[in-house]
Amino acid sequence: MTLAGEPAGAWLKRLFSRRLIFVMGKGGVGKTTISVALAYAAQRMNKKILLVEIGDADSIGKLYLERPLPDFPRQLMQNIWGVRVEPRAELEAYVRAHVTPGFIAGKIIRSRLFDYLFEATPGLKEVMSLGRLWRWEKDENNPSGSSFDLIIVDAPATGHGISLLRLPDLLIKMIRVGPVANQIRVLQRLLKNHQKTGLVLVALPEELPVNEAMEFYSEAEETLDMPVAATFINCVYPAAFSPNEIQQIEFLESSHLKQFSSVEKRILASAGKIILHRRNQQKHIDEICAKAKNHVQEVPFCFTNDLSVDEIQKLSSFNFPVC
Amino acid sequence: MLNCIKTPDGPKIIVCCGSGGVGKTTISAAIGLYGALSGKKTIVLTIDPARRLADSLGLKKFDVDVQRVPIENLSVLNASRLSDAGLFAMMLDAKGTFDQLVARYAPPEFQKNIFKNRYYQHLSNNMAGSHEYMAMEKLYEIFSQNQYDLIVLDTPPSRRALDFLDAPQRMLNILGHNFFMKLFKPYLKTGKWGFRLLNIIASPVLRGISKVLGSEVLNDFAGFMQLWDDIMFEGFSRRATAVKELLSGNKTLFLAVATPQRLPMEEALFLYDKLLENNMPFGGFIVNRVNVEGTGEEGPEADSNKVFTKYLLDPSLKNKLISSHNSLVRMAVSDARSVRRLIEKIGPGGRVLQIPHATGEVVNLDDLYQLTRYFESARQV
Repeated sequence: MTLAGEPAGAWLKRLFSRRLIFVMGKGGVGKTTISVALAYAAQRMNKKILLVEIGDADSIGKLYLERPLPDFPRQLMQNIWGVRVEPRAELEAYVRAHVTPGFIAGKIIRSRLFDYLFEATPGLKEVMSLGRLWRWEKDENNPSGSSFDLIIVDAPATGHGISLLRLPDLLIKMIRVGPVANQIRVLQRLLKNHQKTGLVLVALPEELPVNEAMEFYSEAEETLDMPVAATFINCVYPAAFSPNEIQQIEFLESSHLKQFSSVEKRILASAGKIILHRRNQQKHIDEICAKAKNHVQEVPFCFTNDLSVDEIQKLSSFNFPVC
Repeated sequence: MLNCIKTPDGPKIIVCCGSGGVGKTTISAAIGLYGALSGKKTIVLTIDPARRLADSLGLKKFDVDVQRVPIENLSVLNASRLSDAGLFAMMLDAKGTFDQLVARYAPPEFQKNIFKNRYYQHLSNNMAGSHEYMAMEKLYEIFSQNQYDLIVLDTPPSRRALDFLDAPQRMLNILGHNFFMKLFKPYLKTGKWGFRLLNIIASPVLRGISKVLGSEVLNDFAGFMQLWDDIMFEGFSRRATAVKELLSGNKTLFLAVATPQRLPMEEALFLYDKLLENNMPFGGFIVNRVNVEGTGEEGPEADSNKVFTKYLLDPSLKNKLISSHNSLVRMAVSDARSVRRLIEKIGPGGRVLQIPHATGEVVNLDDLYQLTRYFESARQV
């Protein structure tokens, strides 16, 4: 769904004019694959990228390092860095920065009350995670030498993904003064700045994921004031055959079946499966295209369960041409 | 693996767990149908159901009230004059259940304070495990009413299966006995009429926290904890313990539903480990949507020199046909590898049931019935 007359890849240029991109979507739709594929596309545009995972997430870490990412930026590839944000550590640093003397801060951090407040206070974790992102956006404590052009956040699965962005609004209703309140106000300005921050939605062309995507569009625009800048429909079966070829295949299947060997019958059956599957998916793809206001990118199904980093890089260069 | 459902002393509760998007709700409905067809009055409890599934069951929509599934629409039932014992369906509303719990245990004059407390609102909606806990709570309620021979529970799509297994215990830990006193005792003073008040000024720790988060947050939190501790705790903990006992008893069977993809498989294995660790009754894995093209005797990818030799086929169409077929074969190989890895990890014993990837969507009861036929099939490893 590229705009008419636009060069291929213009949408990527628009997307990457922002500095902070959240990759959202339900668990298992391929957020990590898309995050990494986007990072490679940005790499081809000579940008320096920071890939971010939050909390317990370890998918990017597993891809590159076979363990969770460290909590300070580490280089994964040429111009691609990765980091994991640990909200608890952020809050502790916060307490240490604002409470004197130091032994009181230590006492607070070790107290059970602090544990519970941290777990139970709506939005505290989210604000702490986002606060870290904000500091990288501002280039504080950046160990990589020069600033990042693009920060791509592989958000937690949708329920959580959206609460990551929604809960700061809730917390500001509970906390009106003090350092955390100030932090939230700064964050809200960054998140709701449409030039700087963008949401990217990943969905599968199936009934439930598409329903959720529909809800997500409304919530992103109305509740969060963070409209979706691009949608990726992942695992799309190839439209391998032209309408004419489909007719031929149907004809072969119906009338000549007896003269074919068992292998040939299976080959024809496979084609039938792919055609039917694609047809089922198309309904859902059309639904998304009708609702989405910005670029919709189909990402082909790779016919495997385990994509390696190299395969994702290939996927990126085939499907995300840059200009 | 699922044959035990049919026996008279088989499980009374089947809990289907797994990550979202693996077809758990559809599998749960099929198990429900399987139970009903084997002569057990069955109810399927589900959360977040697909519109299509309601259609396929012949229901207008899933509702929080119990609905009877018009199982007489099943064509095979008419053909073979099988009898069914009744299939019912019901949607769970987690948020509603939490409020019901407060309504049950808290005196009316305190309910308003609990409902409007921000911590309560947040905990009942967002806390990891609260939806899962509420599903269990509802399950217990229906089980206690003793109206059904079999209850099939489709659990919330929990990213971490742990959330839902630990839910009762976690709720107890977070909202445990004398929780308020333990947490706040060092910081309390007695107010005018004997009320316990937080002594924020006199305590350096509270002063420090309020410097960062504000005193409003602390008071809100303490207020909620106090209300909960005084009013809700007893009823709640009794219930949570009973729920846990029911789940770990011999009337219950847990099934882990997955697809061959990495994430759902990891979730299913994680769940399996957790169940064993907690001595919970594990029934097996259901691996849904397994691509089977080219596995088994059918052999590997097709060779373009050996096919369509007698029949003159447009070369470009021939190439496309072969490459499409081979990609399905590759997919099947990848799926088989994934299932093999699962079996290597858990060892043999017939606890993995594979359901082939159907091209069409489940649109009516007959499609659902087709699924139940795999429950008895030989594709078990």
